[in-house]
Amino acid sequence: MFVFRNHTIERFFPKDYHFSGYDDVSLVPEQEEGYVWFYQAPIGYDNAAASEEIAADLRKFLMVLETVNPNKTVIAFTMTVIYSLSFTDDDLRLKEAVGKYNAGLISASLTHGNLKVIDIEEFTSRYPAEDLMDWKFYLLSQMGMNPRLSASFQQWFAKKLDEIALKRKKCLVLDLDNTLWGGILGEDGPEGIKIGGDYPGKAFLFFQLGLLELSRNGVVLAVCSKNNEQEVLDLWVSHPFLVLRKEHFAAYRINWQDKASNLKELAEELNLGLDSFVFVDDNPTERALVKQLLPMVSVPEFPVQPYELPVFLKKLVEEEFKVYSITEEDKAKTLQYQANAMRSNLQKRFDDFNDFLKSLDMHLTVEAANEYNIPRIAQMTQKTNQFNLTTRRYTDSEVKSMLEKGWKVYCLSVADRFGDSGITGCAIIKGNEMDTFLLSCRILGKGIETAFLKKVLQMLRKEGVSEMNATYIPTAKNAQVKDFCAGIGMHCVAENENGEKRYKAFLDEMDLSIQEFYHIEVK
Amino acid sequence: MRSVFQTDDIDETCSQRNCEKWDSMNHLNLIVELEMEFGVSFEPEEIAQMRSFDEVVQFVKSKTA
Repeated sequence: MFVFRNHTIERFFPKDYHFSGYDDVSLVPEQEEGYVWFYQAPIGYDNAAASEEIAADLRKFLMVLETVNPNKTVIAFTMTVIYSLSFTDDDLRLKEAVGKYNAGLISASLTHGNLKVIDIEEFTSRYPAEDLMDWKFYLLSQMGMNPRLSASFQQWFAKKLDEIALKRKKCLVLDLDNTLWGGILGEDGPEGIKIGGDYPGKAFLFFQLGLLELSRNGVVLAVCSKNNEQEVLDLWVSHPFLVLRKEHFAAYRINWQDKASNLKELAEELNLGLDSFVFVDDNPTERALVKQLLPMVSVPEFPVQPYELPVFLKKLVEEEFKVYSITEEDKAKTLQYQANAMRSNLQKRFDDFNDFLKSLDMHLTVEAANEYNIPRIAQMTQKTNQFNLTTRRYTDSEVKSMLEKGWKVYCLSVADRFGDSGITGCAIIKGNEMDTFLLSCRILGKGIETAFLKKVLQMLRKEGVSEMNATYIPTAKNAQVKDFCAGIGMHCVAENENGEKRYKAFLDEMDLSIQEFYHIEVK
Repeated sequence: MRSVFQTDDIDETCSQRNCEKWDSMNHLNLIVELEMEFGVSFEPEEIAQMRSFDEVVQFVKSKTA
């Protein structure tokens, strides 16, 4: 990564980063994998001149943004005033200039998908103003921030990079008594529990409102509670002040079984890995049990006093669930996972599996990559672990450059009578090599993977491709696709000691027919 | 000094003259780390005089004594 800067800030970035000269935008090195723009407000006493300089900084940034390869990520920090001296109260020029600069960054990000804007104040607001600067080091060497903050800055920046790479936990499993409401339902009864109204009910109400917003941002909520199931189901229907009810949870385990076993079952039912789970429970014994038996589950400490919940929620979101941005598909996650659970209930009622599939009334849409679905395609390559043939991770920019190189990139949307799962699969073909083939696990179990791949191969055959090669690259999580290629009629031609398998097939020799109950549309 | 300069090639004879990694940037990094480690603060004049391993040890000792 290459950092454009106007102060001495090397200490604040990883050792392998490169840096521009001070306020030097004349050189934009091409071989860098990405760019960081970190300009700090000028320090001086002539606020008119400083304001003009800030305006010029934005123009320089926009020029650099237009110069760099649009397939490469540019991370721009907003600007904040660390030190200023106004000689009159009505001199707000510096504030105004910084505001315009930041607004300029944000509006540029609307038209440049490769630009990610990071709010520096999320970091600086943790410290009082006098701790942010160390004048000795500024005057000795233009150090734009207190050098003692570099370790915590680096930590924060690494977290931001993860958020840009869309790494986060997927599912929040919640206890009920003394976690989502005050008191114990089985003892205090539906009228006795504390939710809504005055404190402490108000604190739990706020907590539930926050969790509702979290689920609207694509985090799946589930319940794991020791209670009588029927009492909770009745409460979800009848209690006037509850925010989170049955429909907000993708799945639940309300019983007297140990919570570790329940979490395992929830993971299976939702088709999610336990390492994407966060478990919130007020009872330290339950937390200890889960920590010990399921170390991959993240288990935060829970506050003792209900008035500490807002701080707890903020920390929970920032540490476990925050990402740079989310897609439309993410927002409807809970509904999709719920529809899944309904499908599996229905499945039990059919003896013949094909009858079941027919009854689902599945509609598959295969679409070539375009500017609207590329972010989702990249996101799937980043997040899909289980049904993923090669587990190659790509950014938006990399997908775009594939198209420029003539690779074929397709995505799959799936809808059935229970709902629309949105874009949930993708295939990337480089000539006659299958670079990537993946499906989100929530649509598995319906033969969609075979129908999708066959459709893609049919389309390639029409375009004159005669031969297809594929590789299965084993990971800790993708054992289920080990024999997928063989299953659709490709031949395994090599296997190495790591379990990596090479497949080959001539498209004319393959049976590419697809069952008629998959209604497939090509866009 | 080894962690700041990212080299194992440090001994008592090391100085700004003979150590390539001991440039002005790393000099300040060293000072910051020493200040944090020993809970002390060096004056700019002192910082300018800490040009060798021995001088660094001497200033740290005088501050912590």
